[in-house]
Amino acid sequence: MPSLLDHRFLFVVGKGGVGKTTVAASLGLAAARKGKRTLVAMVNAKERLSSLYECPPITDKITNVAPNLDAVNMTPAAALEEYGMMILKVRTLYQAVFENRFVRAFLRGTPGIEAWAMLGKAYFHAMGHGPEGRGDYDLVILDAPATGHGLEMLRVPQVIVDVAPPGLLRREAERALSLFRDPQRAGCVVVTLPEGMPAHETLELHEALTKDLAMPVPALVVNQLLPKLFESGERPLLEALPAKLDEGSPIASLAKAGRIRALREGVQETSLALLRSIDAPRVTLPRLFEPELGRAHVESLSRAFD
Amino acid sequence: MVSSSNAGASSARSLADVLASHRVVVTVGSGGVGKTTTAAALALHAASEGRRVLCLTIDPARRLANSLGLDEMTVDEQEVPASLFERYGLEPRGQLYAMMLDTKRTFDALVGQYASSPDVRERILGNRIYQYVAGSLAGTQEYMAMEKLHAVRQDPRWDLIVLDTPPTSNALDFLDAPERLVDAIDSPAIRWFLQAFEGAGKFSFNLVGKGAAFLLRSLGKFTGTGFLEQVAEFVTGINDLFGGFRERAAEVSGALRSPEVAFVVVTSPAPLAIQEAIFFSDRLREAGMRRDAIVLNGVHELLPEPQAPTRELEAALRRVEPGLEPERVVDGMRRALEDERLQGVADRIESERLHHRVGDEVLLVQVPALEEDVHDLGGLARIAAHLVTPTERARA
Repeated sequence: MPSLLDHRFLFVVGKGGVGKTTVAASLGLAAARKGKRTLVAMVNAKERLSSLYECPPITDKITNVAPNLDAVNMTPAAALEEYGMMILKVRTLYQAVFENRFVRAFLRGTPGIEAWAMLGKAYFHAMGHGPEGRGDYDLVILDAPATGHGLEMLRVPQVIVDVAPPGLLRREAERALSLFRDPQRAGCVVVTLPEGMPAHETLELHEALTKDLAMPVPALVVNQLLPKLFESGERPLLEALPAKLDEGSPIASLAKAGRIRALREGVQETSLALLRSIDAPRVTLPRLFEPELGRAHVESLSRAFD
Repeated sequence: MVSSSNAGASSARSLADVLASHRVVVTVGSGGVGKTTTAAALALHAASEGRRVLCLTIDPARRLANSLGLDEMTVDEQEVPASLFERYGLEPRGQLYAMMLDTKRTFDALVGQYASSPDVRERILGNRIYQYVAGSLAGTQEYMAMEKLHAVRQDPRWDLIVLDTPPTSNALDFLDAPERLVDAIDSPAIRWFLQAFEGAGKFSFNLVGKGAAFLLRSLGKFTGTGFLEQVAEFVTGINDLFGGFRERAAEVSGALRSPEVAFVVVTSPAPLAIQEAIFFSDRLREAGMRRDAIVLNGVHELLPEPQAPTRELEAALRRVEPGLEPERVVDGMRRALEDERLQGVADRIESERLHHRVGDEVLLVQVPALEEDVHDLGGLARIAAHLVTPTERARA
């Protein structure tokens, strides 16, 4: 198996709020540092990458954010235009067809087309034209929408292959699909938290990815791992401590914080055990107690992917 | 409560009032903020107050089903047994049902109900694009949630429906869903498109003129031959299905703006979630919808720092718990307290930011961070108790 950063295309997937964008940003920095020409692509997101990289807002135009590292926030309209140009080649032809009012409305109404345009664009950046082609980047990292919508997006190429008759659209979808399913070149980086609900949902997500979509999972990223302050033997005692204190005890607030932490460390241990059933290399990222993450934080997190 | 002339302002003093004075309560918010749990806790509270409640969720985690005493959520309504209420010291004065939304089945049912003939019905259900779209593609889930809501509202078995909407990054997608679907299938573009398409056959380029024929051929190059025909068949089918669909969607849309529907925005104090909640709230106002309450889940308490010298703290610990090594554990607790305080301060800043932005006309309810995950009805009841407590601002 190639190491994570030697892939050509990585999807970053997971439930909402687990830190997908942070992981995508860190992966991007790590890959760029390794000398890979890297593109971090967001899918029409309320863009947060620029605050992590401390750069101007990232738009639907590809921008350089660090040596070897570009970023883009794809929008369906811009992606469709680029994609249409790629296929029709001639701008006037493109304008005549794709910018026709009716066609535009029709494409907007056809389910899956927008998702496909964005996936297709990202794919194109990684692979370019032709069966064994190379695009402008060594690695494309796609920060996918949260679980439900993310899975819907990943399902689109298969739907096209199933539904569309032979032709350009289907051929492109087939090519993308064979890339996305090739463990040598692509995969889904699954992001989760060491907490009860997210861990359970991650097992379901992993199953949906590997079984239903037949996509490889080259890494499971456990984000926001708490440093362990207490031994498992100490935890029950700490959990019981606040109840034992007299009113006004000098250690009241300490005991309360200790109980909260002991409980969380317990949940963390159970969740990590649960996640062990996922057969994928695991990367852990520490919990940073910062109100807002910036470039220096992402730099330090990115070391986990070296 | 501060009175306000703003449209959509809430006059409720607590979420208990919101529940008591509405027939439908819709929870909206981004993923991972405890939206489904909030919906379930609100439903539980109303049921214990004597209402006949249906809690309608979208693809909930199994744990939620378990905490309602059910093995798993199903697409048919299941009643939470009264004995379970009693086990947790709750009075089952009303009834609580839970149901999961099945997008495909809801869509199929619509087809069955509205197709003009069995023939049309079979043609739609058999269309390959329909088969995918109905089940899984973006947008339909949001729309079907609205459809389902519309259907269960007419059902006299329930006098309160709590609807948990799909988590979406584009927040209010589901509010636009009826209009969007109408636009997609009943626009001039589609009518033009359908003109070019003769029933179940092929595109007729004669009908649309040279320019259009060129467009269709170019598009066909992109999609492959036959695809456009399939899309057209799908769209024709859906058009037939809904007949006066525009009216229907207008009805669904209008129903969302009726005074018997309350909206509860759910968020967490994470900066990103707060940003979303503000965006949500603005969008609701722009859309002329009510903003009845914002629930801020998981607010960390700001614990005070200990005042006594370390030696005294260690001695105090030794007295109550000789089983713990005082120096090591006091040090650990200090670090845990520091982390909690950092979180507590950050949460306060975010909660103030939210309050500042939405003002006093929206009920802002804070739920403290829970020490443990909710895994039973008792846990849901504890959350419900926090949810329905009148807020300090409302009391003032």
